[in-house]
Amino acid sequence: MNLSQTALRLLNRRAFLSQTANGLAGIALTSLLQAESARNHAAEPAGTIDPARPSAPRPPHHPPRAKNVIVVFCAGAISHVDTFDFKPELIRRHGQRMPGNESLISFQGENGNLTRPLWTFRPRGKSGKMISDLVPRIGDRADDICFLHSLTTTSNTHGPAENVMSTGFAFDGFPSMGAWINFALGSENQDLPAFVAIEDPRGMPQSGPNNWASGFLPASFQGTPFSSTKPVRYLNRPDSVDLQADTAARSALAVLNEEHGKRFPGDQGLMARMASYELAARMQLSVPEATRATAEPDHIRRLYGADSPNKTKAAFATNCILARRLIERGVRFVQLFNGAYASGGQLNWDGHSQLQEQYAVHGEILDQPVAGLLMDLKQRGLLDSTLVVFCTEFGRMPMFQAGTFGRDHNPNGFTCWLAGAGVKAPFSYGATDPFGFRAQENPLTVHDFHATILHLLGLDHQRLTYYHNGIERRLTNVHGNVIQEILA
Amino acid sequence: MNTTHVHRPPWQTNPARFRPGHWLGILLFMLCSGFAAETETHWSLQPLRPVAVPDLQDPWIANPIDAFILARLRSEGLPPSPPADAQTLVRRMFLVMHGLPPSPDERIRWESDTKDLVDFLLQSPRYGERWAQHWLDVIRWAETVGFETNSPRPNAWPYRDWLIDSLNADKPYARFLFEQLAGDTVGEDAALGFLVAGPANLPGQIGRDEESMRQARQDELDEVIRTVGQAFFGLTLGCARCHDHKFDPITARDYYSMQAIFAGLRYGDRRWRGTENDRWTAELPEAARKVAALENELGGLQCSLGLLPSLADQQEEQFRPMIATAVRMRINATANGSEPSLYEFEVWNRPTPGEPPVNVALVANGGRSSASSFALENQTRHPDNLNDGTSDPRLAFPWKAAKGGSAWIQIDLKQPTRIDRVTWSRGMSVPVDYEIQIQDSQGSWQTVANTRRRFPRRDDQRKPADLALEDVSPEQQETLAGLLADLRSAQARKTRLAAGPQVYGAVFSTPEPTWLINRGDPMQRVETVPPSAPAALGNWSLGNNSQEPDARIALARHLTNPGHPLTARVIVNRVWQHHFGTGLVTTPSDFGKMGSRPSHPELLDWLAAEFLRTGGSLKRLHRLILESNTFRQANTPRAECIARDADTRLLWRFPPRRLDAEAIRDSILTVAGTLNRKMGGVGFDFFKQKGGLSDYTPHETFPAEGLRRMIYATKIRMQSVEIFGAFDCPDAGQMKPTRSRSITPIQSLGLMNSPFVNHQASLFANRIRHDAGTNLETQVTLAMDHALGRPASPGELLSLKELAGEHGLEQVCRVLFNANEFVHIP
Repeated sequence: MNLSQTALRLLNRRAFLSQTANGLAGIALTSLLQAESARNHAAEPAGTIDPARPSAPRPPHHPPRAKNVIVVFCAGAISHVDTFDFKPELIRRHGQRMPGNESLISFQGENGNLTRPLWTFRPRGKSGKMISDLVPRIGDRADDICFLHSLTTTSNTHGPAENVMSTGFAFDGFPSMGAWINFALGSENQDLPAFVAIEDPRGMPQSGPNNWASGFLPASFQGTPFSSTKPVRYLNRPDSVDLQADTAARSALAVLNEEHGKRFPGDQGLMARMASYELAARMQLSVPEATRATAEPDHIRRLYGADSPNKTKAAFATNCILARRLIERGVRFVQLFNGAYASGGQLNWDGHSQLQEQYAVHGEILDQPVAGLLMDLKQRGLLDSTLVVFCTEFGRMPMFQAGTFGRDHNPNGFTCWLAGAGVKAPFSYGATDPFGFRAQENPLTVHDFHATILHLLGLDHQRLTYYHNGIERRLTNVHGNVIQEILA
Repeated sequence: MNTTHVHRPPWQTNPARFRPGHWLGILLFMLCSGFAAETETHWSLQPLRPVAVPDLQDPWIANPIDAFILARLRSEGLPPSPPADAQTLVRRMFLVMHGLPPSPDERIRWESDTKDLVDFLLQSPRYGERWAQHWLDVIRWAETVGFETNSPRPNAWPYRDWLIDSLNADKPYARFLFEQLAGDTVGEDAALGFLVAGPANLPGQIGRDEESMRQARQDELDEVIRTVGQAFFGLTLGCARCHDHKFDPITARDYYSMQAIFAGLRYGDRRWRGTENDRWTAELPEAARKVAALENELGGLQCSLGLLPSLADQQEEQFRPMIATAVRMRINATANGSEPSLYEFEVWNRPTPGEPPVNVALVANGGRSSASSFALENQTRHPDNLNDGTSDPRLAFPWKAAKGGSAWIQIDLKQPTRIDRVTWSRGMSVPVDYEIQIQDSQGSWQTVANTRRRFPRRDDQRKPADLALEDVSPEQQETLAGLLADLRSAQARKTRLAAGPQVYGAVFSTPEPTWLINRGDPMQRVETVPPSAPAALGNWSLGNNSQEPDARIALARHLTNPGHPLTARVIVNRVWQHHFGTGLVTTPSDFGKMGSRPSHPELLDWLAAEFLRTGGSLKRLHRLILESNTFRQANTPRAECIARDADTRLLWRFPPRRLDAEAIRDSILTVAGTLNRKMGGVGFDFFKQKGGLSDYTPHETFPAEGLRRMIYATKIRMQSVEIFGAFDCPDAGQMKPTRSRSITPIQSLGLMNSPFVNHQASLFANRIRHDAGTNLETQVTLAMDHALGRPASPGELLSLKELAGEHGLEQVCRVLFNANEFVHIP
């Protein structure tokens, strides 16, 4: 499948230029479309997007290992050296200058001395993976996790680096990973959006909607933002309109559209627009059903920590339950955010000045809900078909910043992890240097990370392209290698 | 094409960088890309050739456009369509040219006279408002900076006005282009908003390391090059930032030569010359006199009170030499009452004769800093900043107290030291009431300096009673504070008048040298390059020492030279695109090899030549298109034509299409009778804030100001607006010369259920009831006429009457706003 220029042409053509559905002409057109696809992409099945069902399921390039994805995005840059990347040398050299980088200038300026992890690392699971007490319950899931300890990124600023993690580019306006995947694969459920972005209860991440934007892809592929605390906009008819009036209005609308359609027989675009109203009506039932996380039994809510007296934790836990419910219903891609925008580390993982105090708050919110999500997916068998992606925009420095009790941005080496469909677990890949400062063994780019996620979904990152302003664009730009070593 | 030149790798001029592996790569690249075999110049880079209008005798042909279209249709065996009915044509012309539907009166007026309708549409200011939006899409214009702060650009709106006015005035295209590149040379400052339309990271968001700073500068100039390259050249020059363009004859050297043209450019506010500016200038002398008079009076007062000079931003306090173990500064008040803050605090020893004095506070000299508190902000505000030896705000951070009011900082010295002075540098605030205290070896403190005899600073905003001056009576302090306040406001007025009105645009200073860099890495400089246009398009080049604005003027002249192969082709294609929904070239900002080839190459060249012949008049071009039968033909699909040309690229009918987001909103307001036609000025807001971090709260209802045309909405980058954003409204992240037209349930939810649309539906219903009286049939008929510009069919009438009767006319209006027909150009 190649969903590039061909798909765009088909989409536009079928949407807005009438295709007669009857008689010889219709047959002629169909064969014309096939001829064109075959001509341009001889060895590949034709990728077509029906404007009436832009998220209809489409076949991948190769047999997939994962059907859907849940991303947990820790906004603000969670410190790898305080969570998943155990560095005994950092503990040993606590209080010393970092050898070779005695006067390092990083994002905010000068750095102080090496500072040992602020939480104790302990062996977890049967594998004995060393994980810190900041995330003990995620630690308990260590045997289900494939850690990537050698991620690197190209920006040391939150917004651009979030863009890199979500879209592959530091700049605004490129399609997000979820939009690419929605564009490529559609969704198994036509009554729910194919791509849902679930914001943190504390607010939006730094680069906001660009994390789930469609960029230059058609708008139908963008993420629809809603969460346990924030409903879908305009989902329900206004209070001023009762059900009978709403039903009557929809019937009258159909009469008008049919009358108009008579002048454009077979116009797929007009039909698609009518269908979009029917889908919207179905969403009015399916979205509340999916978001009714309160329908979950108490033991499940407790598993995630949705019963916590900590309101933020309970809301984030409910978001995690919502993510699972959406995946169960066939939604392709769910992006869960943990952490809001820049706030000096108060609302997200940006621990520049008081890392210990701030992370204690954030760790409590993150740990149980994410661990609960992994357990719940596993006990339902969903981890066989769902890929869980845990990521952040970059890591943090092994030393404290000069004159603070926090760590500066570190794009040179950080940890993300994958769990579930198609990846080895327990497994750890790549490593930073003895201090956690720089990726040293098997350094990875975000493009490699993306290429691997696409690969697990049955997509070849080099063939998933879309023409825009002179370039066949890819999620992975002109880079990226699938990390073969971590594939199960 | 001179391939040896085009393919000279960037490191060739620097033998030290030579690595043999690269040559293999280059060879493979040339083989793969087909460049090695390329002999003919790409079509769009060939000069315009004189084109003969096809000599066809056919009554269908109204002007040469039709001859080109018909000739192609005939060769494909496709007949054109008969003329559209007048009702459809009037609606089409209004929606294409104004983005608004005709009122029933207008429709009736123009149905019988579609010839004069062209004049009406082109003379109406609604034309500029509609077509300006298309240009804003091309350059991804917005009123926030983008990226993570997304801060407002509050003075950006005049560019939008300049654009709308320029289109309405039918400014010749060469002039239109020139002003956007070099408007500063002809008094058109607002036009320079073009160059800096794109996103840019703010200095505070850029890392302090050299690589980050160089990278950020590269990024902000890259946005400028992309804007100019795509908007005017119709080429994607940006690719050549990291390597020679893989498909077009644009080398990395070309890219950096282009960057050199803008090497003196910064993003910022500039003086906005014009009548307002002249008025301010005229008022300046009087304002200056007022300031001088107040200064005079204050000077007299200072003399008569016998006070010491005011504190500076960097202040030294001397005292008799004494042995100190620690020094403390107790700050009691700051000039504006904000948190006490200092960049640096220095303590100077009394050197032995012949030795230079030493700052013993420095951490390097053993000084240790502490403070009563420090602010927890995104960046360090710790007291360590006080004695780190740097007070340059670009390189260092200040200490800042956690809250306003009093605070102290202290430096403990490594050993008892004889000292005789301290120096402090202001931080984010400036201290105005403080004591300097010294601890001796016995541990006792004494005050060695204070501010009790200092004449207050001009920016000192303390209340009279808080001035706390020694030997100055309360009445005198009252007078003093009053004079200071008067002076501040007089000074502010003078400064404002002297600066003149401000407009966001490119600001220019002496250009820095531009470096050709390797693989887009700013740390890999190869050599400096002078400004020039891409070599494949001409060979002018200015010297390495060219000054502002010469290079920009040279670029504008290059582009507006009538022989330029791209400029005219690119703009006539954009105009064509917005008439027919698709350009003759479907990739309007990419006329390179990756772009599409024109469907009608001769027509494109003829239009470009005609455009140049008529002085670059966009309105003449519109007229030509609007008077063609190609534009005026019916939109009915015909199976035999669809089978041959489903895309309608050959224009055997007029291709109908969905309206843009802005036109849908504007149409709703027009039909509801609520559209506010106020032009120009500061925009209205879709959100409760004008920029900044995410979490935008949308307005659900709008005062009259918010019922202006959507082009006047303050454009927030990367923030989709409610309801209408879902209709493929560009987010101004990347340039969007063509909009996708997707169909999603989110669109339907917004149009059916949003309070905005339902409110407008009820206002529409009120209007109809007012005009049509109580008869349901009359009401429905009039509502149809307003919304769809046609009478209802019997079936529609029945259905809508029943809906109105049982559930109210509001529901009919709500349905009309949602109808396919309402949101389509017929």
